[in-house]
Amino acid sequence: MLEDEWLKWKLRRGSREALARVYEKYVDAMLTLAMGLLNQRATAEDVVQDVFLSFARSAKDLRARGSLRSYLATCVLNRVRDSRRQRQRRTVRDAGLCVPTESPGPERAVVLAEETARLNQAVAELPEEQREVVLLRLKANLKFRDIAKVQQTSVNTVLGRYRYGLDRLRSLLNGEVEP
Amino acid sequence: MKSRKAIADAIRKKWNFTVDSPLRDQLLAHALREQEQSQETEPAVNRPAIRRMIMKNSMVKLGIAAVILAVLGIGIVEFLGTGGTSGVVWAQVAKNVEASRGVIFRVRGTGSRDPNGDWPNGYTIHWRSAALSRADWYRNGQIHRTIYTNLDTKTLIGVLHDHKMYNKEALSDERVQQARAGKGWTDPQELLNLALSLEHHALAPKTINGVLCEGIEATGPDGSTGRIWVAVETGYPVLTEVEGIDKGGIRHTSTGDQFRWNVDLLAEGIEPEIPAGYEPL
Repeated sequence: MLEDEWLKWKLRRGSREALARVYEKYVDAMLTLAMGLLNQRATAEDVVQDVFLSFARSAKDLRARGSLRSYLATCVLNRVRDSRRQRQRRTVRDAGLCVPTESPGPERAVVLAEETARLNQAVAELPEEQREVVLLRLKANLKFRDIAKVQQTSVNTVLGRYRYGLDRLRSLLNGEVEP
Repeated sequence: MKSRKAIADAIRKKWNFTVDSPLRDQLLAHALREQEQSQETEPAVNRPAIRRMIMKNSMVKLGIAAVILAVLGIGIVEFLGTGGTSGVVWAQVAKNVEASRGVIFRVRGTGSRDPNGDWPNGYTIHWRSAALSRADWYRNGQIHRTIYTNLDTKTLIGVLHDHKMYNKEALSDERVQQARAGKGWTDPQELLNLALSLEHHALAPKTINGVLCEGIEATGPDGSTGRIWVAVETGYPVLTEVEGIDKGGIRHTSTGDQFRWNVDLLAEGIEPEIPAGYEPL
């Protein structure tokens, strides 16, 4: 995007307006990605906050190539992985908590429609690697080869995970698989 | 039975979360503070060292030289080429825009959240001069946010109409300098300079709101395009358009129009009044 190139140029010169624009443009997309990867609102918000604070600190030396969306999405994924590792160290694994869920309270209306709620649940039930591929592809618009780099695997494996992930979602959403 | 494509489309388009408003503003405030602090801890005098480091790499040097030549080449074409064959001399347009005392214009956009997500009803109105800047965001027919800066008095006023809150703060000298250095991607002057520095070509003349206009279209390295239409008679931009398609196939656009150039903007005329009942942030 031309605008992203422009924003990167401005960020390297310390523009506050550019940072505000990047934030406004991508904060919801990054929260959606973090929510999909973690399925925990509070942790997802922490991740997004960490990513944007780190981004703000290093903005003047920004060397991101390509879209800022891809760059930020990769940062979110790395933070999510850190968060998962920390949580695994902290908590005793409980069979019921393999995919942590959080019921949204009325003041935190996370889902606005039944379909969204079902999607949320279905995405949470995907195996972690498939979930990463599906979300990085569909919510962060990363290319498959870039996802392969992030996951340190081949493009074919990533394509397979994407296909299996969508098939699994289709099954879950069509009620073919018991949750 | 949902297809794979239907599932993918549902996730891509319908499955979204948003950061709640109070948290949204807090996070942005923290990020801006981090940015400011990072600049304070690493002063600008260190920057030439980075440049020297980059210039040590011969491939980078070649790339920079090529860019400089390309920009110079475009400049020469602008001065020698367009003046003789068209009604608009783009170098003169750049001068007109730079010399304009003040400008008022509207920006609308699609694809991304801001300036608005409810095209064509949402929009942003900008007032710009060398020292003053104000932007009013409208969403769903209601004023949403107002940001005003006065670089002479070093003041910033933000009004969060949706929360009935406001913020007044003093601008540091550094922030004033930054603001003077650049007014953002929506600024028509900066957009014009960017377009002229990129690969671009002339568009066929057309009439916009009854005014004969000539335009150029610039293409970014990623295929995004920017178009600027200038009134032949006045030599000022009347319409700016930026568009591109992101990796997910979503088309993003930004349109600037309703330009009023050479307007005398006075602080007392555009400084926002805080409505009764609004509370300080």
